[in-house]
Amino acid sequence: MKEKRKGPIGRAAGLAEGVAATVRRMQRDREPRVLMYDSTGYARLLQPDARGYESALDVSESMVRVVDGLEP
Amino acid sequence: MPGALTPERTAARLCELSSDARAAVLVDAAGSLAGASDLDPERARVLGQLAVGLFEAVDRAPRAEGVEPPEQVEAQVEGGAVYATRNPRWTLAVVARRGTLSSLMLMDLRSVLAELEGAPPIRTSVSATVAGDLPDPPVPELGQERA
Repeated sequence: MKEKRKGPIGRAAGLAEGVAATVRRMQRDREPRVLMYDSTGYARLLQPDARGYESALDVSESMVRVVDGLEP
Repeated sequence: MPGALTPERTAARLCELSSDARAAVLVDAAGSLAGASDLDPERARVLGQLAVGLFEAVDRAPRAEGVEPPEQVEAQVEGGAVYATRNPRWTLAVVARRGTLSSLMLMDLRSVLAELEGAPPIRTSVSATVAGDLPDPPVPELGQERA
């Protein structure tokens, strides 16, 4: 079990860990990704090297561009 | 049935339900545009074609034996997110803001398609409290200096 740090340094370290985790999560959320869901809601991540991945991302980016009023 | 959702109104209905939805299109099984939210006709037509292309792309992805084709797709890209759902008759796709809660958007897509297929209308409600009635917060906001 992870030992709990006490005192101001421990609290500061805990805060820094929380910030770092948030930054990691935000970076992960910004990465392009394609998820596919079956009828039960089960999700599968389309791997970047899988067939269809690049095409799905290209199409999706075009859709966003169309809504932005740009050329697809 | 009076008030029943029509294909022409379906995409707009989705955008009414979700504040994160920027634009949506409904495409029929033949790939023809059946309805769009507030878009000019040309952009709506292109968006409909792209929605069909999105499912064509993911249908090319390898699937394990016995795994059914995806019913819904979510793509997170720079500048936004795309969600799409399909059934044998319709494909409904939406371009949403980044940071949209995926589970909610996917549920909205399913619910709106179900409504189009004759399910009871989705009930919406608003909070009983309006912002002006809220009391001041008990503690000062972070970053604001005390008077």
